[in-house]
Amino acid sequence: MASRFWADTESEEEEEEITQSDDEGSEESATAPSGWVNKAKSYLKGAASDSDDSDTQGRTVKSTRERRNEEMLSTLEQIRNATKINDWVNIVDCFDKLNKQLEKVSRINDSNKVPTTYIKALVLLEDFLAETFANKEAKKKMSSSNAKALNSMKQKLKKNNKQYEELITNYRANPVDDEESESEDEEEPDMSDDGVDDVIEYPSDEDREKDGEDEDDEGERKGDWVKSQSKKDKQMDKQFMKDPSEITWEDVDKKFKDIIAARGKKGTGRVEQVEQLTFLTRVAKTPAQKLEILFSVISAQFDVNPSLLGHMPVGMWKRCVANMLLVLDTLNQYPNIVVDDTVDMDEKETKRGVDHKGPIRVWGNLVAFLERLDSEFFKSLQCTDPYTKDYIERLRDEPLFMVVAQNVQDYLERIGDFKSAAKVALRRIELVYYKPQEVYDAMCKLAEQNTGEEGDLEGEVQELSRGPPEFVKIPEIVPRKPTFPESSRDLMDVLVSLVYKYGDERTKARAMLCDIYHHAIFDEYPVARDLLLMSHLQDGIQLMDIASQILFNRAMAQLGLCAFRAGLINEAHGCLTELYQSGRVKELLAQGVSQSRYHEKTPEQEKLERRRQMPYHMHINLELLEATHLICAVLIEVPGMASPAYDRRKPVNKTFRRLLEISERQAFVGPPENVRDHVMAATRALTRGDYQKCFDTIAKLDTWKLLRNKDQVLDMLKTKIKEEALRTYLLTYSTCYESLSLDQLTSMFDLPEGRLHSLVSKMIMLEELHASWDQPTRCVVFHNVEQTRLHGLLFQMADKLSVLVESNERAYEASTGGTLEGLPRRRGENQETGVGGGPQGRWQENFVASQGRGRFGYSGRVGGTGGGYQKGTRGGFGSSRYQDAAQGGRVGGRTGSRGGQVDGAPRMVNLNRGIRA
Amino acid sequence: MASTHDLTWKVAPHLDRHLVFPLLEFLQERQLYNDEEILKAKIELLSETNMVDYAMDIHKSLYHTDQVPQEMIDRRVEVVARLKSLEESAAPLISFLQNAALVQELRPDKQYNIQMLNERYQIGADQIEALYQYAKFQFECGNYSGAADYLYQYRALCTNPERSLSALWGKLAAEVLMQNWDIALEELNRLKEIIDSKNFASPLTQLQNRIWLMHWSLFIFFNHENGRNGIIDLFFHDRYLNAIQTNAHHLLRYLATAVVVNKRRRNVLKDLIKVIQQEQYCYKDPITEFLECLYVNYDFEGAQTKLCECEQVILNDPFLGKRVEEGNFVTVPLRDEFLENARLFIFETYCRIHQCIDISTLAEKMNMSYDEAERFIVNLVRSSKLDAKIDSVSGTLVMSTNHINVHEQIIESLKNLNMRTYMLAKNIVEPAQAAAQASAAAR
Repeated sequence: MASRFWADTESEEEEEEITQSDDEGSEESATAPSGWVNKAKSYLKGAASDSDDSDTQGRTVKSTRERRNEEMLSTLEQIRNATKINDWVNIVDCFDKLNKQLEKVSRINDSNKVPTTYIKALVLLEDFLAETFANKEAKKKMSSSNAKALNSMKQKLKKNNKQYEELITNYRANPVDDEESESEDEEEPDMSDDGVDDVIEYPSDEDREKDGEDEDDEGERKGDWVKSQSKKDKQMDKQFMKDPSEITWEDVDKKFKDIIAARGKKGTGRVEQVEQLTFLTRVAKTPAQKLEILFSVISAQFDVNPSLLGHMPVGMWKRCVANMLLVLDTLNQYPNIVVDDTVDMDEKETKRGVDHKGPIRVWGNLVAFLERLDSEFFKSLQCTDPYTKDYIERLRDEPLFMVVAQNVQDYLERIGDFKSAAKVALRRIELVYYKPQEVYDAMCKLAEQNTGEEGDLEGEVQELSRGPPEFVKIPEIVPRKPTFPESSRDLMDVLVSLVYKYGDERTKARAMLCDIYHHAIFDEYPVARDLLLMSHLQDGIQLMDIASQILFNRAMAQLGLCAFRAGLINEAHGCLTELYQSGRVKELLAQGVSQSRYHEKTPEQEKLERRRQMPYHMHINLELLEATHLICAVLIEVPGMASPAYDRRKPVNKTFRRLLEISERQAFVGPPENVRDHVMAATRALTRGDYQKCFDTIAKLDTWKLLRNKDQVLDMLKTKIKEEALRTYLLTYSTCYESLSLDQLTSMFDLPEGRLHSLVSKMIMLEELHASWDQPTRCVVFHNVEQTRLHGLLFQMADKLSVLVESNERAYEASTGGTLEGLPRRRGENQETGVGGGPQGRWQENFVASQGRGRFGYSGRVGGTGGGYQKGTRGGFGSSRYQDAAQGGRVGGRTGSRGGQVDGAPRMVNLNRGIRA
Repeated sequence: MASTHDLTWKVAPHLDRHLVFPLLEFLQERQLYNDEEILKAKIELLSETNMVDYAMDIHKSLYHTDQVPQEMIDRRVEVVARLKSLEESAAPLISFLQNAALVQELRPDKQYNIQMLNERYQIGADQIEALYQYAKFQFECGNYSGAADYLYQYRALCTNPERSLSALWGKLAAEVLMQNWDIALEELNRLKEIIDSKNFASPLTQLQNRIWLMHWSLFIFFNHENGRNGIIDLFFHDRYLNAIQTNAHHLLRYLATAVVVNKRRRNVLKDLIKVIQQEQYCYKDPITEFLECLYVNYDFEGAQTKLCECEQVILNDPFLGKRVEEGNFVTVPLRDEFLENARLFIFETYCRIHQCIDISTLAEKMNMSYDEAERFIVNLVRSSKLDAKIDSVSGTLVMSTNHINVHEQIIESLKNLNMRTYMLAKNIVEPAQAAAQASAAAR
């Protein structure tokens, strides 16, 4: 075994080494899945006693079974070594050997049971194979024979593994031993034995003392738990087990330093380190020292999962939470202990005991720990399948985190570190902001009930530290249950105002977005809109990190839904249209990966993207969003399409137009199935002015049931549809009628007379409709001022000419840097003439008037994920309508500058508003 | 419920204590609230000022006694004592300033003045500070003209910009209370300049200052003859409009009224309506609703009812409902103007969307009798503001529809292109020619 070379600690104790591999094997099976524990146990017992024997008697007699097992293990070891040097030829040989051995073993064991060792080997091979294939460069460098072996191995393994699929997944699913054997095997083969120790609980102290004196006693322990400690550990035990009172601060400190020094080095088991440190916390001599060690425990716990993609094991996470609470208890108990991560600590500072009066500084950073805790929680939700029970179980842990966060925040506020408190507050906000009141109430209830579960947790903790009695006892001081105000709004207000007051730019921006989102959920559109406009977030969002951009997109989507529920169609459309422009809405909201036909993503990009995903419970329902967006588009576009050809403006929503074109191209139209089909069917009905059918089709959508005030929204929708149907009808057929009576229209569209009158009047005023009322007879009289096609074209030409001139002027200005002198305010004038000039000007002015806010307010940024982020879709809406914007300059300018609030630093103002609101 | 639309409680926090007095006086006159309540409010208001005698009077009339609470008496003693001490400390400077000959010596240069005062008259920074305090005290006592004078002089000597600003506020308040509208307007503009140019520590303070300024300006604008333009200019200024939208929505009422009564500023109507629509969720009153009915919903009946409410609102508003006595009549000029213009608005809009209107309905819509309406229309037609004819037999008004000729439209829209292109060409060619000439000359 080549690895022996590395194990310097063990080199003295030759005899024990012999048993190593055995122990490993037996350990494996001890922790194997419950399904076959029974069998394995008997097997294990034998093994254990054997190994003990071998300790005393040397290895002379061995049962055949034993020998087979050992053979297998050594093969496994060979494979492992071969993987180190990427020697596939060797691996193939070993694999074949392993298979033969398996036959023998199963014959001897006379059962169909497959030894764990074998499964382990399979897993190892599979992983290594995958790794090798992922690493293309290494593959290229391989010699031809090696590559050939690799390929044949792949085939074989594939075939072979099929039989053991279940066992392999079982094996993989077992997190504890998977974790250690996998991670450690990869880098440090000699660690396997240390790793084995990890799972062993430290026995109670009498046991331990005996242990120190007399090795042979081990056999007496019935082999329930096979205990084989490395020399190192034993020394430690000896040192600490004598008598708690004899242990000095220096001893603990030295040991602590040793362990810390080993961190990250080859040959250090991560889980083991956690255990060792946890043990040390119990013997720590002063509270400060205990705290110091606790901090190390926590960081060691975070170290357990080295990869960015995976998450910390749930059990570990919970233990970590418990440790955090312990830390807080300590800090509350001894207020003179200061946690700091900036100053270099005095070596001996933690020696100062309870009676020390002055401040004791301990290195650590609570906020960083808390944030890490949060992101681990987030990651674990990302990785869990949302349709399983696990996910719900995991979600139940949320109050656990809330309580830690709350306590940390309280503590930070007490010591006056408001900046950090703001960071913690943001974390809390991010757990609450997306919850409607019902969900929030449920969470509160859960937190109330959670005592039972926490009991479990404590039990676990107790079990874990079944060591010597704690030297420094810390009573539970901080509350173990989170407290929640009645409404989530209250909670948000408190937290958000704290962040606004003390947070840094990014924290504030994120808190603001969460605030907007939350207001939007609670149907407070004006408040949310004002917050958004006054914070100027949409101007600077593209400069922020991607997570914040996603949050921004989410807030916009929610704002759009909110506007829709409130019946503000234009506003809703303004919010949503940009999300749908790129067709990557999933990506923009981080709710799943969208495939692009033309653009392959690299694995790194995909990985990055996967890491950004929102956990399922935070998703915004995409169907509802799409339905909302498309319906808004229908209501805006259909009357637009009905107006005579030369009057027609550019389509407001190109996405919708494209979809419509596609659906019109279909030869046969089937019954609607998805959201899009429904909306298209509704569009066809609306184009004919058939409001009832249009509404029925839309009301059939399933997604409405997601709305709290479904009936209200549908009523609103019905009215809107009627109104737009009327407008469409009038625009389409006005040329065919000389006059239409008010009563007839009222009955046709089932609208109240006053509303109808005002609608028609508005159209007349805005010169969308060339008509006027004849009051005595109560009817609309249409004037046939039909423009010919030539006229229409002329208008277009005039428009284009002025655009041309304008761009010339702009070019001149750009090249000289000065303004063109002697010219009238051209934009303003242009607008004047436009207004005086007829339908064109009118129309667009109307457009600006009705759209102004939406356009200028929201033409913010919807970034994309990945590489697409930078491209963004900067003011897609605004820029496509550039000419209009220029003409409507004055009007638009006003709206735009509304955000301009207080020059320079508008954020402050809106913060004020935020607090007020 | 005449007091429903009363804004005093919203306006008052943005005003100086002394400025609230006229408002309360007005409310008392209009009998919107209980006399007692108002008197109590007045005492409350006076408690922080030095006008103790006045407070005592009010107290007496409120409780119908001759007894005055001890605090008031104590306060009076205290005030008098403080007056004495301030008078003393400011005496040297005041005596200097009262001597016209000496004042001649002052020059526009502040530094020089301070030095000169210091050297020749032993008047240092302390005395100047005392002047400020004294002026403030005078103001608190209700001696506005004295305060205004002192503050004016103080500003000439003051070097601290903060102090100078607050002196200016004080001056403005004093002028407003003395009803010197012209001077007040000057001060207002000066103050506006300072607020806009100054770098405030936090934008919030700046915002607050703007809001104060707008509130204080209400006194001036609705009394000064050119105030109607002034208020539109000031309030429509981007930053001020933003301030209104952020924190002082109720000012929209005054802006709306000013726009309605101002015939020459129709062009801002559209902007105003947009603002009103945006802020609709947090502020509405009959005046804004009237505009909304008329220009957003084209709901003439709604506009009609709102118009009636508007009248009440105007009458009960301290700023808008100013009365003028002409002989035996008491009129509220603003109300009359408002109603007249509002009627015109309704009429115009109505005519635009109709080709034939029954005059009796029209009369009803405009709150007029048939004959009045007919006269009104005839006047409009005669002054060629309205292109229509009255069909007297059927009692209808017939509009002559006239659509702008397409050719005219196109020519209109292209008219200025020529000019613009010409200018562009000229701008490009001229520098080139100049350069050519220069090089020729050099040769």
